[in-house]
Amino acid sequence: MMSFGENLGRRVIQMLTAFADTIVFAGKVFIRIFRRKTYSSAMREVLLNQIYFTSVQILPVFLMVSIIFGSLLIGIVFQLLKEFGLTGFFGHVLMGLIVTELSPLLTVLLITLRSAAAINTEMAVMKVNREIKTLEMFRIDVINYLLVPRVINGIISIVLLSSLCSIVLLVSGTLFSWLIFGMSIDVYKNILLNATNFSDILIALFKCAIYGFFITLIPIRFGLRASHEFTSIPIVVSQGMVNVFAAILIIEVLSLLTKLL
Amino acid sequence: MFDSEQALNQSLHQFLHDYPLQVAPVSVDVPLISNQDIYMNIALIKQYHEDMPKRQAQRLAVEYLERVDLGQIAYKRNPALNPEERFCGMLLRAAMVKDAMILIDQPFKIIPHLKDIQFVTTALKKIDDLYLSCHIYDYQWMKEKYGEL
Amino acid sequence: MTLSREFKVGLFIGCTAIIIVLALLYLAAGKGVFENMHAFTLSSKSGDGFTEGMPVVFSGFNIGKVQSLELNDKGVVLIKIKIPDRHVKWIRSDSAFILYRPLIGSARIVVNTTNLNNPPLDEKKIPEVIIVNDINDAIARIEPALERVTQIADNVERLTSNLSDPKGDLHRILSNAGKITTNLASKKSLVEMVVSDEESVKALNESLKKLKDITTTVDRILTKVDKMADKTDSEIYGKDGALPQVNVILKDIVGKLQKLDKTIDNINKISSDTSEGTKDLHILRSDIDDTLKTVEDAVKKLDAIIGLKKVPEFKVP
Repeated sequence: MMSFGENLGRRVIQMLTAFADTIVFAGKVFIRIFRRKTYSSAMREVLLNQIYFTSVQILPVFLMVSIIFGSLLIGIVFQLLKEFGLTGFFGHVLMGLIVTELSPLLTVLLITLRSAAAINTEMAVMKVNREIKTLEMFRIDVINYLLVPRVINGIISIVLLSSLCSIVLLVSGTLFSWLIFGMSIDVYKNILLNATNFSDILIALFKCAIYGFFITLIPIRFGLRASHEFTSIPIVVSQGMVNVFAAILIIEVLSLLTKLL
Repeated sequence: MFDSEQALNQSLHQFLHDYPLQVAPVSVDVPLISNQDIYMNIALIKQYHEDMPKRQAQRLAVEYLERVDLGQIAYKRNPALNPEERFCGMLLRAAMVKDAMILIDQPFKIIPHLKDIQFVTTALKKIDDLYLSCHIYDYQWMKEKYGEL
Repeated sequence: MTLSREFKVGLFIGCTAIIIVLALLYLAAGKGVFENMHAFTLSSKSGDGFTEGMPVVFSGFNIGKVQSLELNDKGVVLIKIKIPDRHVKWIRSDSAFILYRPLIGSARIVVNTTNLNNPPLDEKKIPEVIIVNDINDAIARIEPALERVTQIADNVERLTSNLSDPKGDLHRILSNAGKITTNLASKKSLVEMVVSDEESVKALNESLKKLKDITTTVDRILTKVDKMADKTDSEIYGKDGALPQVNVILKDIVGKLQKLDKTIDNINKISSDTSEGTKDLHILRSDIDDTLKTVEDAVKKLDAIIGLKKVPEFKVP
């Protein structure tokens, strides 16, 4: 009984310490984002490459997934609204649920699966290969050169892709509202405008930025925890990914709480 | 020349401590970044420390590679290089440090099949305008390979 | 021609940013952010129920919102509303402003303008807002009636399941009661009625259509009861049999619907007092009358059939 209590206490303390460390580390990276010195030519190149790999390369696939998955989702939601006689809530469901909640979530999940996993592995491999040490030996700041461009890329990519996804969903919403409710574009537009709340859009964009920050920061942090053995790579990658998903859930819950309050 | 690993490491650390801003290591422990082409590895130092524009730094890197007759490796990555090419890549990267004091740690560990130091000195001569000084650290028992140097 | 990585990234960021900005500008323009706004001041003896940002509605469309609330020296609440240029045509000198506080949904100020040819409302004039509080009392009266109707519907369903040996037809007939349950359970639509705007009146009309469906179902039951008469036993027609129960239940339904009728009367009274804008409630009233009459007819028919079968001249097969 005693040992169970001790174990539990130790676990809780470890979790809290790790959480506090992550927040402190995030603060450090966040401050660097606003320092002019951070933006060297080398850092800008990394940033450019990161945006290219995370957003531009994925764009055709992302748009296709958004169109297929988003349209199906919007079709199902509209159908349900019609069946349950909740047509009056059509605009609010479209803006409040699909645009401000589902679209950022869909984007963040796609980017996490594609880029966060890659970043985590890349960092772990660099650590194992002693490339991080190389950077340090040449007095290249790891935070400025490796972390900040990836984190900025995360923020830019999630905000832009999520907005694109929302726009795609709204466009497919036009089609489905016509097919399911026989609604004209003018009526659809009016309902949408009535249901739109700028504060909701701002919260959604802010949430995307937070998502982008953490889904890149956490994998980097865990990747850098690798030892000099190759066997440590899968361990830190799986830990990193689990933590990224936990972070996504926490951010989602917090954003839902802001809506409730 | 050092008698033991401990003495060598101690001396290396001392050197790093004495010239923290100029030291430019060439060592198996300081590898090339594997997910970047060789010219990018070399250009990185100028881009980061001197904020040299990307194109200019990369042009410079390719130019230096051509100077050591290795223009063809510019767009290759670390795993694709042979030990001589890898050594030259590391050397050029070190030479990119401003007022570089190149520190070559056990060159025969980087190019194990070398019979003598000739290859290293030739490479150093080709780029002697790019660095301030060069220091080679190795064990006493490798003295033979260095000849009269 | 291969595009450089820089160009592709620049193109992506540039185009996406432009699309986002255009979308936001479109929304802002649609919401009237860039439009000239007209400010009108309304008055009310009580500020209860008013909030800043509350929508101002005309014919179910948002045409503006409450900008601020003030209390003047005389203790009168001044409500400043802002109406964009394109919607100001709906506000005329004879416009009535009604504060609706529905049970479901947010409160709103409803504008009723009978004659759009009248001169526009002078921005210096301060019309008084009519507060419709009684509507909530009406809801309170509707609620228990609806509860009872739902209870009856539940009974019908229980009855269906209690008949362990269905003997073919009867079970099938009573399974139709399930449909009654579903239709009567459309309580939500009835509650929405208290919103008192056109949208909700539509919802209520739909509910009434459903009630008509119930009548059709009852009719169908009666036809089938007629047909199965030869096959049934005293368990069904006896004192505690199924059909007398159905009769009782249907009578009960009529009773409750009549209570509902009274409530609708109340709403009618309120709406005629406040404005003419909710004429739809009169149509609603006649719809309810129709429905009640048909249901009543159906029950009488059922009574007649059961009356005929009361004589125990049929033997148990």
